[in-house]
Amino acid sequence: MSTKKSCLIIDDDPDDQDIFRLCIRDIDPDMECNALGDSVAAVSMLSEGSFALPDFIFLDVNMPKLNGVECLKTLKARGAAGKTRIYMYSTTSEAAMVAQCNELGASGFIVKPASPVELRQILNSILNSANTSLENSTQQ
Amino acid sequence: MNGQQVEQGADHFSRIKDVYKKMVEEIQDYAIILLDKNGIIRNWNKGAEKIKRYKDTEIIGKHFSIFYLPEDLAIQLPRQLLMQAEETGRATHEGWRKRSDGSRFWGSITITAVHDDDGAVIGYCKVTRDLTDKKMAEDQLRMSEERYHQMVAEVQDYAIILLNKQGFIENWNAGAEKIKGYRAEDIIGKHFEIFYPTADRESGLPMRLLHVARTSGRATHEGWRVRKDGSRFWGSITITALHGKDGTVIGFTKVTRDLTEKKLAEDKLAAYTSELEIQNRELEQFAFVASHDLQEPLRKIRTFAELIRENFNDEALAKNYFVRLETAARRMSELIRSLLNFSRLTRETTHFEDVDLNEILQDAKQDFELLIEERHAQIISGPLPYVSGNRLQLGQLFSNLISNSIKFCQTDPVIRITATTVNGNEITDAAPGVDDKQFFKLTFSDNGIGFEEQYKQLIFSLFQRLHGKHEYAGTGIGLALCRKIVENHNGYIDASSRPGQGAVFNIFLPCRQ
Repeated sequence: MSTKKSCLIIDDDPDDQDIFRLCIRDIDPDMECNALGDSVAAVSMLSEGSFALPDFIFLDVNMPKLNGVECLKTLKARGAAGKTRIYMYSTTSEAAMVAQCNELGASGFIVKPASPVELRQILNSILNSANTSLENSTQQ
Repeated sequence: MNGQQVEQGADHFSRIKDVYKKMVEEIQDYAIILLDKNGIIRNWNKGAEKIKRYKDTEIIGKHFSIFYLPEDLAIQLPRQLLMQAEETGRATHEGWRKRSDGSRFWGSITITAVHDDDGAVIGYCKVTRDLTDKKMAEDQLRMSEERYHQMVAEVQDYAIILLNKQGFIENWNAGAEKIKGYRAEDIIGKHFEIFYPTADRESGLPMRLLHVARTSGRATHEGWRVRKDGSRFWGSITITALHGKDGTVIGFTKVTRDLTEKKLAEDKLAAYTSELEIQNRELEQFAFVASHDLQEPLRKIRTFAELIRENFNDEALAKNYFVRLETAARRMSELIRSLLNFSRLTRETTHFEDVDLNEILQDAKQDFELLIEERHAQIISGPLPYVSGNRLQLGQLFSNLISNSIKFCQTDPVIRITATTVNGNEITDAAPGVDDKQFFKLTFSDNGIGFEEQYKQLIFSLFQRLHGKHEYAGTGIGLALCRKIVENHNGYIDASSRPGQGAVFNIFLPCRQ
């Protein structure tokens, strides 16, 4: 059983993709990190299985055509998320939207920080706490 | 015996005559006077003294015309009454009389002729009643009734109508004429449902209101009513049942007020309020998306600045981050500029003049001269109309649509611009009430990448983009701006397309503002 973790960021902004991947690489150089810019294509690839489900998906909210909330809804509705933890990843947060995402089964809502140091901290705690809980679930 | 009997009889008779005389003398409520055939007073009772305030000693021997007023004497009323009594046996009269002190009373009199055994008139009996109190009360009542009728008749601001128990009009006042336009002679006898619009008549509203008034005493309603000339007014009505002595309904009064102005003011206020609410929601949304979209480049600027600090020694990497930082800063300026443009576009500041759209197109072509040459773009247009509008805003509209068509095109752009005239009913999603209005329809069609049908509404939303930022640059404000400009001109904009088939934008501007 491979211990190598994988994550996927879906964000139409190439800068944000790069910043995210940079931070992930700094935290865990072994983690496989992919980026997709087109949410419609990403959702169909994931639900058809042509793109292997990663351990984590980070979903930008404000995307053209299919926004992050719609992506989350579609993935969950199709049962295409499996054990994958999905985090929302947005410039701004709005209480109603955060609540909606929680209800739809998102594992968390991250407001994109303005500092890479901060982003590394957030990602670090997510990946580590997820580690623990995943271990817990395998023990049972 | 016989003689005694006669004597007894005569005695008895004379006693009765005495009693009778006394009775007449004692009567207090009637003046009973004996006149001789010339009208001279020969006898006087207590009632006469009480009513006319003469003592018998003062009055006996005087002519009875002493009780009459000068105007009655002038027409010889006392003489005529006597003559009538002589000829027909009896005369009656009612009128003002005067007392000894000069004060007046309302007398009701009967003069009866008294005949001798041969049938010749030998005198008259005059009976007078003092009906002053009754007369005053009657006069009071009559005057009050007259005043009341006058009041109802002359009230201008309320239509006050009397209906019979089936709802037919029996009475009509000045206010009813003023409000409903019918004259009394046109309308009395008609049914009151004539004031109701056809739909209300068909649904039975008038009869329902009568029924409510009949069963609960009163019915009120507000709604549109119809005048004689067919125009409408907003009536506030109250129908009240009128009851007879036995408690049954004998008719109705209907009071109507014309509250059209109030109603229109209320409607206007409601429309204004809802407009404000819409604007408020738009503003909230605007603030939210604006802050969101402005955050984004700012966040990148800070991120790249930090990354540059972390990698200060790696010159190539730092240089790359600098370029991206500058791009983000440029994008920020661009966004702020467009947002300013957008927020300045309020309806209140829109100044209208006659604008030649051919000129507007010419100007736009000049602005894009370089881009058009670079992209080998063609703009083909027919003659365009003059419209009443804002020159700057219409210029912006043309620029945005043309630059959009050039931007979202992967071959040599071909843009066709045509104009026709259409009726309001040919516009989908047009506001109610513009069906008969004439609109200029401007059509911009291109051979660009187009978009999927499902996004045809979404593309006009602020900051809504259909493409990733790496594919096509832009702020997501352009088409939102177009829609706002068209709305400022009381017009409509729609779009249709299929991916790869080009896009068509239709703009409808009113021929008359």
